[in-house]
Amino acid sequence: MSLAAAVILVVLSWLWVIGEDRARGVVLISAQSAEHVGQFIEDLLGIGSPSPPAYLRPDRWAAMAGLAAETLGMSVLAAGLAGAGALALGVFAARTVAFGPLRPSRSPLWPMAFFVTRGAFIVSRALPELLWALLLLFLFTPGTLPGALALGLHNLGVVGKLGAEVVEDLNLRPIQALQRSGARPGQLLAYGIVPSMLPQLLTYLLYRWEVIIRSTIVVGFVGAGGLGQEFRLRMSFFHYTDVTLILLVYLLLVFGVDLVSAGLRRLAR
Amino acid sequence: MTGLRSSRSILTILLLAAFGWSLTSVDWREGVLNVQGTPALLEFLAAAVRPVLTPAFLGRAVAALWQTVAYAVAGMTVALLIGAVLGTLASGALAHRRVARFGEVVGARATLGLLRAIHELVWAWLFIAALGLSPITGVLALGVAYGGILGLIFAQHLADAPTAPLRALQAAGARPWQAFLYGRLPLVLPDLVSYALYRFECALRAAAVFSFVGLGGLGAELQLSLRELNYGEVWTLLFLLIALIVAVDWWSGEVRRRMTT
Repeated sequence: MSLAAAVILVVLSWLWVIGEDRARGVVLISAQSAEHVGQFIEDLLGIGSPSPPAYLRPDRWAAMAGLAAETLGMSVLAAGLAGAGALALGVFAARTVAFGPLRPSRSPLWPMAFFVTRGAFIVSRALPELLWALLLLFLFTPGTLPGALALGLHNLGVVGKLGAEVVEDLNLRPIQALQRSGARPGQLLAYGIVPSMLPQLLTYLLYRWEVIIRSTIVVGFVGAGGLGQEFRLRMSFFHYTDVTLILLVYLLLVFGVDLVSAGLRRLAR
Repeated sequence: MTGLRSSRSILTILLLAAFGWSLTSVDWREGVLNVQGTPALLEFLAAAVRPVLTPAFLGRAVAALWQTVAYAVAGMTVALLIGAVLGTLASGALAHRRVARFGEVVGARATLGLLRAIHELVWAWLFIAALGLSPITGVLALGVAYGGILGLIFAQHLADAPTAPLRALQAAGARPWQAFLYGRLPLVLPDLVSYALYRFECALRAAAVFSFVGLGGLGAELQLSLRELNYGEVWTLLFLLIALIVAVDWWSGEVRRRMTT
């Protein structure tokens, strides 16, 4: 059933894509498009241009450092905001807290908080970073902050859901021991639940950071600054050797974050 | 225990310091709030309860949603193709001579790493600059970026598969490709399908914002409605996207459940 639906979807999608491609007269596989790609690669490398390509000029590399730092800062801020939000809200989204053995009181507020936080996680996760960025520009002036918030909001849903699952899978014994010895809900949270969910949440957050750094360049497209904004600028001025330089810096940043995140994850274990 | 605790406190300090540093990357002096935007924001929020549901707009919205789905589905087929081929090579499961295996694994892994490192929208922009504006560029961009991710995950799962059934097959005289097809693949297939479905959900989100590089779909309609200050229409589109993502999430959950039980 699912397989048949998937096959039909694939066929219909490709029919639409190919039809639209024909209508626009691009036609993917042709001698002409091969020539265009060749030309584009030559432009990126700066072949046939009289001035030296930007990616070989030390002064251009130095100029990139500030933008790279800004992009890195934006990604760290986004990950931090998502992590803080998930830590604060994830507990309420756990079934064991809302309905199960960890429920602190009979108050109907706990199930209500469950549905509100779960709903918020679904919405925040469903909307991609760029749509969040677009909506946040109602409230903020374009810059690093709305970019980081947009990245953070999308990731809040992703990390928050995981946080809730971590709480649901917690070993209940030590927490119930605290409960029985008369700990109040706040103390239960501070000494029982949060410390036990922290290592897993941090590990996952570090994984997400690797995803976030890749998307950080993209929120720059809507004016959030950093490498992304520079990329958009250089693309629209056809400064293709600068584009190559930005891509190289971006790759360094992405691989660097992968390495650092792997190292930090070892500390979290 | 003390070693563990101290490494965790080092981590906590490092992360807090990083977060503190990241706050300095925001230019606070210029004022971060867009004061003139407040009336528009209130108007926007008020429109949430009255999304535009006229047949004419709904027709446009559903057509845009379909385009987004088509991008995601076509992109995922390319991604699965790239992921399956390069992922198999990168797992080293097929090669039998050690030197060949080393070359294959390193080459495939490096390629996958590069494909994955660059965001799909950046790929899309590069493809558009090279080929021109066509849905095929978006499909290729999704296929390349997600092919890299799928390939790395596939390779990891294939390499981690239990080896006992494999050795039994090999002892019975199976060739490497036979051992792969009948020994390794069936063991990891449910995990691979489940991960591919999760990626499909991500692909839908990615395709929804292809409008930022000039392609059509849900994002294009949304940006148009936003520019015309028609907030009711924006909400209709947002609700449609959320419904789509929730539906796909539910569907992949169902498939996963049926495969594991």
